[in-house]
Amino acid sequence: MDNKVAIVGFRMAAAPDIEITRERLAFNLTRGLFDDLGIERDDVGTTIICSNDFLDGRTISNVFLDPHVGAYMKDESKVEMDGLNALAYAAMRILSGQYETALVASLGLTGSQASPYLHIEYTMDASYDRPMKLLNELAAAALQAKSYLAEHGYSEGLLDEVAAKDLANAAGNPNQARRMPGITAEQVAASAMYYEPLRELHCYPPTDGGCMMLLASEKKAGELCDKPVWILGMGRSTDNYYLGDRDLATSLSASQAAAKACEAAGIKDPAGEIDFAEISSLFAHQEPLFAEAMGLMESGKAPDAYRAGDTAINGRLPINPSGGPLGGHPISSTGLIRAAETVLQLRGEAGENQVTKADVALVHGQDGLCAQQSVVFVLGT
Amino acid sequence: MGATEEAYFTPVVPMDFTYNYRVGHYLQRYLDGFKEKKVLGAKCPECGQVVVPPRKYCGSCNKVREEFVELSQEGTLENFTVGHVTLVKGKLNEVESPYLVGMIKLDGADNLLLARVEGLPVGEAKTGMRLRAVWKDQAEGDYSDLDHFEPV
Ligand SMILES: [Zn+2]
Repeated sequence: MDNKVAIVGFRMAAAPDIEITRERLAFNLTRGLFDDLGIERDDVGTTIICSNDFLDGRTISNVFLDPHVGAYMKDESKVEMDGLNALAYAAMRILSGQYETALVASLGLTGSQASPYLHIEYTMDASYDRPMKLLNELAAAALQAKSYLAEHGYSEGLLDEVAAKDLANAAGNPNQARRMPGITAEQVAASAMYYEPLRELHCYPPTDGGCMMLLASEKKAGELCDKPVWILGMGRSTDNYYLGDRDLATSLSASQAAAKACEAAGIKDPAGEIDFAEISSLFAHQEPLFAEAMGLMESGKAPDAYRAGDTAINGRLPINPSGGPLGGHPISSTGLIRAAETVLQLRGEAGENQVTKADVALVHGQDGLCAQQSVVFVLGT
Repeated sequence: MGATEEAYFTPVVPMDFTYNYRVGHYLQRYLDGFKEKKVLGAKCPECGQVVVPPRKYCGSCNKVREEFVELSQEGTLENFTVGHVTLVKGKLNEVESPYLVGMIKLDGADNLLLARVEGLPVGEAKTGMRLRAVWKDQAEGDYSDLDHFEPV
């Protein structure tokens, strides 16, 4: 990318039940971020709110959040998709030259406020899938998992290993909602079966949470922080909606979004040049599936990579050192939280989950059934 | 007053709003075919792919699929899951007995049709199995006319 946009700060939170109002959560996170950076709301050029009207139970739900995120009587717009889409929107606003700073404010309360599955039920095609009553988010994910495992001849044990790795990472991360220290693959394999091959602990937990992030132009970034993290590339791609029209064994949206982001960042060999990745794998199988699709892992070698510890915090290419969405999935914020976790790593501030080499990282976000859409960022120091 | 002592206000979002979604000519034709217990697909003039249910616009080519094609009522089970739960209004419910949801490649089609698979113990389902359509006795031009698939 010719012009440079930096992430200069963020605040995030996640819990099974956040136990405060969404407005107070929005205010606390935004005010905290402003205090971290020593700025006031007048220093923010534009704000992108990322929330979901259906989960909030009211349409145009951003109108209720303007005062809390400092956007009252200011330039504010809204994204109703994953937070990484909002991040792309905010970055483009800075690239337009119109703004020096942009705030992304995302909230999702599916732990205490409304079921995440309900929202997905109402994203499905009203003239076909809903009257057919065959699909829901879990059934669709299970079909994707089955297709992926069958394509490569992987056993279901891979899912247990992936989940155990992620949940162990999540246990060491104070920003995660599901915390199960000492979790083993055997315990994952003993959790309740939902849709074969997916069990309870292969699936994300309903989560309350949010993430606020401030972007700045190259000119402004140095004034606002000592360790700006740069957006080196970004890409998006959307697959067909209907599952029967898609190759569920891989993810075209993830591979194409990653290819675009890597091209913009000048990365030719993702597996060799990316130091670590934060991937929006809402279900255990999606982590190796997306990693293979995005060129981070050799296709057909996922079980070897996990068994060898390549994806672990101290591995060759750590994936989801934060624990990923199996540790928490506040819809609207999940992808943005992946970006925030990546910034922590790149700044060397990830505590006990810190990876060894952290100069260039890949961040993935998704929307829709089985990641119909993917968004990928390449971030670096 | 501490945070945890706060009361919840629990509005019920009234999703019993009625929407009139036109199904469009193509799904209408599909449902009309059901009245005669026929399964129709649509073929793209550019890429030649046949999709079922028939849909008018090809995403790959951005062209109108103009030709309807009657498909075989037999096909191959390409993918499936066994449901041990259901989701009802976003809530997980256990089911009395596990059930099969299959993705079936009908002979003559290029994509997969989702359908219930019955007539075998769920543990015996295998990809590559040959299946055939089972219709309701009285077809009425509704999606439910094509009730399920069973092993040939
Ligand atoms: Zn075509």
